Amino acid sequence: MKNMKTLDEIISSKVNGLYYGCRMLLPFTGTILKMVIEDDIIMDFSPRSKDITFVQKENYTDIYLHNYKNLSDAVNKYEHIKMIVVEQGKDIFDFNNHRKIAVLVEEDHKLIIEELDKDILFIE
Amino acid sequence: MHAKIKILFFVILLFLSFHVSTYAQADQDTTMIQPIAETAHELPEAFMVIPFVLLLLAIATGPILYKHFWEHNYPIISIILGLITVLYYLIFLGDTHTLLHTFAEYLSFIALLSSLFVASGGILIKVDKKATPLANVIFLLIGGVLANIIGTTGASMLLIRPFIKMNKDRISAYHIIFFIFIVSNVGGALTPIGDPPLFLGFLRGVNFFWFFENIWFIWLPTILMVAAIFYVVDSRNKKGTESTASDYTGKIEFRGTKNLLYLGIILISVFIDPAVISWVPSLVPLPFGIREIIMFSVVYFSYKTADEEILRDNEFDFEPIKEVAFLFIGIFATMIPALQLIAHEARLYGDSLNAGVFYWATGILSGFLDNAPTFLNFLSAAMGKFGLDINVQAQVKEFVVVDEIYLVAISVAAVFFGAITYIGNGPNFMVKAISERAGIVMPTFFVYLFKYAVTVLIPIYIIIWLIFFYGHG
Repeated sequence: MKNMKTLDEIISSKVNGLYYGCRMLLPFTGTILKMVIEDDIIMDFSPRSKDITFVQKENYTDIYLHNYKNLSDAVNKYEHIKMIVVEQGKDIFDFNNHRKIAVLVEEDHKLIIEELDKDILFIE
Repeated sequence: MHAKIKILFFVILLFLSFHVSTYAQADQDTTMIQPIAETAHELPEAFMVIPFVLLLLAIATGPILYKHFWEHNYPIISIILGLITVLYYLIFLGDTHTLLHTFAEYLSFIALLSSLFVASGGILIKVDKKATPLANVIFLLIGGVLANIIGTTGASMLLIRPFIKMNKDRISAYHIIFFIFIVSNVGGALTPIGDPPLFLGFLRGVNFFWFFENIWFIWLPTILMVAAIFYVVDSRNKKGTESTASDYTGKIEFRGTKNLLYLGIILISVFIDPAVISWVPSLVPLPFGIREIIMFSVVYFSYKTADEEILRDNEFDFEPIKEVAFLFIGIFATMIPALQLIAHEARLYGDSLNAGVFYWATGILSGFLDNAPTFLNFLSAAMGKFGLDINVQAQVKEFVVVDEIYLVAISVAAVFFGAITYIGNGPNFMVKAISERAGIVMPTFFVYLFKYAVTVLIPIYIIIWLIFFYGHG
């Protein structure tokens, strides 16, 4: 687990994720419980899911959103990809560990990762 | 391929708008509001309702059975089915008048919806209050009243986000569904601004306050019954009960005040119509008027001048209005034969139809067709019973005085039944889309129809029919 950063570190030091077409690379590992992109609510992260392929690497998370050719076409500058994440090693059953994360799609393949603003609607 | 079909469709519409100028000149300023059935053209074959049925089936089943194919292809499916009807009318009936008229209605519809959608997208209301069943009921009732002032679309767009936010610890799909019932539909039955069919009635000569004077005593028990059922359902929801009122500041914050100005412009522009104000120029043969130009200008300026932070907090996106625009262009086009055939039948059997039949027929069809033309066609048929012509304002005024029960039945049904499906009224779809983006799993078309609309609304509508319309007329 070399170079592994916590979510707090990622957010405070503004570490970006990456995207290439429909592929998202997020600089943390953990369990994603729910993801909302546009009006798609994704809760099935199993290998059988046709919507998403979810791969945990050693120190990052690889996600393929099969219904989107290019994330930058699907998500505009005012929108977010929203997700509920439980960091690797944290108790998934403790709701205090459920972090609401916003991912903004920027130019040059950058994904900005932020704690979700409480003004933005996202129901767990 | 898709782009070519879309371009072809719009080229045909553009061609129509100029080709039809000879018809339109004759109609002058009444073109925009003439019922489809009033034209002297040949009736379509019954099989021409098939594209409409296919489109309804696609809207109902697409998001369930082939969600992602539907999400990527609904614009093209809607346009192709619409094109079948358009080409049939052009080639086999030679009826450009009806097509242009429908296109003009569509433009009016989308101008109003898009301007309200964009202008309200730049407004952020934060309600930091504990959501209780009673607080929710009060919120929904205020929304229902507001719908008469800024329209069901305006009220829905303005209030859906604060409603979700207020209930964030306990929200379920039923919250959204009752919001659609009350704020997006039933609430707006008291003024012509509330819902488009009533506005068409107003343009035809019905007094602005007639709807309030003659509908409030039906509106009030209906909205209270729906709210009471909501209260019972919401009282059984124990989620979020651990928080106390002291966890909330009780404050209501309002940001984006300048967009209220844009909402005001939209509301005033609703009346900028040659049929309402005589000095307003008609832009015939163009399929739009000054009103639509103002509304589309509001779309542009309210978006360009909106506070970026508010747009970000609202996660503003054109997709919901794009979805409405594409689906409804298909609905407007494919429903022409259905409306004409219904109007024809209504005329044939008009004498034997009582107010109750008008109530149910207008209602059921308004749930699946656009309620504005449905309202006009049934109003036309009801007036036909008395030998009156919907195109003559004096006769509309006479009809209102002579036997108002028919207009009451048609008006109430056109507005109330818009709530029975997602496609019954424009804001229904937009509220659904905003809720899904907030992570709320919404029911499918059929679950919405059978689990909620049929079980909650239809019994109430039956009570309304028994009390106010059964055996009348």
